[in-house]
Amino acid sequence: MNFSLGRYIPYESIIHKIDPRAKIVGIIALMVCIFLPMRSWTMTATSLGLSTILVIILLACTRTGIHNILGSLKSMWFMVIMLLLVYTLMPYNSLPNIPVDDNLGVAWNLNGWTVYWGSFAAAGTILMRLVLMISITVVLTASTKPLDLTYAFEWYLTPLKVIHFPAHEVAMTISIALRFIPTLMDDTKRIMKAQESRGVDFSHGGLGKKIRALSSLIVPLFVSAFSRSEELANAMECRGYDPKAKRTRYRILRWKWFDWVFLILLLAILALYIYVCVSGFDPYNFFFGLTLQ
Amino acid sequence: MPITFKDVFFTHDPNTPLAANALKGVNFEIEDGSFFAIVGKTGCGKSTLIQHINALLTPMSGEIRVGEFVNHPVKKKRQLKKVPELRREVGVVFQFPEYQLFEETVEKDVAFAPKNFGLKEKEALDEAHKALSLVDLDESFYKRSPFDLSGGEKRRVAIAGVLAFKPKVLVIDEPTAGLDPVGAEEMMSLFQRIHDEGTTIILVTHDMDIVLKHADKVAVMDDGKCVGVYDPKELFKEDISSYSLDDPLVYGFAKRVKQKGLDLDVSSIKDVDSLADAIIASKGGIL
Repeated sequence: MNFSLGRYIPYESIIHKIDPRAKIVGIIALMVCIFLPMRSWTMTATSLGLSTILVIILLACTRTGIHNILGSLKSMWFMVIMLLLVYTLMPYNSLPNIPVDDNLGVAWNLNGWTVYWGSFAAAGTILMRLVLMISITVVLTASTKPLDLTYAFEWYLTPLKVIHFPAHEVAMTISIALRFIPTLMDDTKRIMKAQESRGVDFSHGGLGKKIRALSSLIVPLFVSAFSRSEELANAMECRGYDPKAKRTRYRILRWKWFDWVFLILLLAILALYIYVCVSGFDPYNFFFGLTLQ
Repeated sequence: MPITFKDVFFTHDPNTPLAANALKGVNFEIEDGSFFAIVGKTGCGKSTLIQHINALLTPMSGEIRVGEFVNHPVKKKRQLKKVPELRREVGVVFQFPEYQLFEETVEKDVAFAPKNFGLKEKEALDEAHKALSLVDLDESFYKRSPFDLSGGEKRRVAIAGVLAFKPKVLVIDEPTAGLDPVGAEEMMSLFQRIHDEGTTIILVTHDMDIVLKHADKVAVMDDGKCVGVYDPKELFKEDISSYSLDDPLVYGFAKRVKQKGLDLDVSSIKDVDSLADAIIASKGGIL
């Protein structure tokens, strides 16, 4: 099991220094880019390819190894096979979300069972989008301290205070949840080791054995999580925590010029993607007169 | 089973900014059937060290031999052979073992490990009952939920859960942490009993009185290395404050008495009783 994915990694990169508020918006923009449907398979491939390059640059900035991301994919092979099966077995174009492009031609035709290359392309697109999604979230969580992230959330929720939305409480809840992820990971490691010493094998064995092995992990994990939350609530109350109180901050978020640069750059990319998506602009045809169909 | 550590190096989270060298060349040997204590200040690598004994961790370099079994550097842990057999021979009780409880009843939880090691339901329950009586929990506990017990009882159930598969080597990390003095004493006499029946015991502790009273050998760890293996009495003759260790209370008392002029035979002192004997002996047997 890989526990390092999704953890904050303390490097000193440009991405680390960007204001978390800019980072959140920028990363949402990038996600939208990835999920925008394009008119033809050439443009889908091009847009995903460009996004991949961008994401790889971001990952390199935060120094998350790409092998880490690929490692997390190992557990997704089952889903990949299911995707392929669904796309090849389903009749042509009955899947609403990703139109199967029939321009790629027929892969094979067995007594009326027609499978288009487009089906494989569509399955590949989904897989690619998922990988990029994971990578982008990793960029965000690896380069931003959880606390800064919640400050940013709270900042965005502040206008909602006018309609009595509990912005601070929500932010506090999120920050506590984030704060306890590594703690729970450590607990998981600890309990796994204790149960492995008692002869549990978490990686081998049939389904029944695996479920039993998991229950020996999950039950103690819940018990410790509940006792921790109780202790935390008591500790907060002892220190006089009142969610409604006015409070000052030790660390204040400061917006700098390179936050503008980062934000404007990503919003420009988003605008470009939206334009291409809506207008059906085909640069291959426009610039080179090619018709890639 | 004799246990040998040979040039063992280990790093937590290698190749990340969080990398920490926990073991930096550990060398020592634990004889078969001994009561072996490991001491050292917090963060010196004791807990990392004991996880190598039953192959929960594999070293970066060097090797650990436990009887026939060799724990050596591998890329993936499943390349190590015979790990289940090893874990059956080496039982590990971690610090605060009560968090490992998960079954609905005490007897089921204790029978969990024997069942994992291949015993039938019925045999496993028999072993569980034996282990529970070893830790002084009677039949009234068998059907209770482990989560309804007191802290000390939970810990005894958890320890029974390891004793139930009768390991030949028992590794215990801080068994007395958080227990009241009477509970701690009972706990240690339990391990002494198990040792007397022929089990090798490896005990990690901060309590020097326990080391002096129970251990026949003690290894001192400092900054990821084993500084030396001593006879406990020899160790406490030296100045050990540089390893953040303190003299055992009885020993400190005896040293102080000796300083004040009473000619005491310090080498025979193990606990309060032997201290009293030594004082009487130095007075010529009469008070």
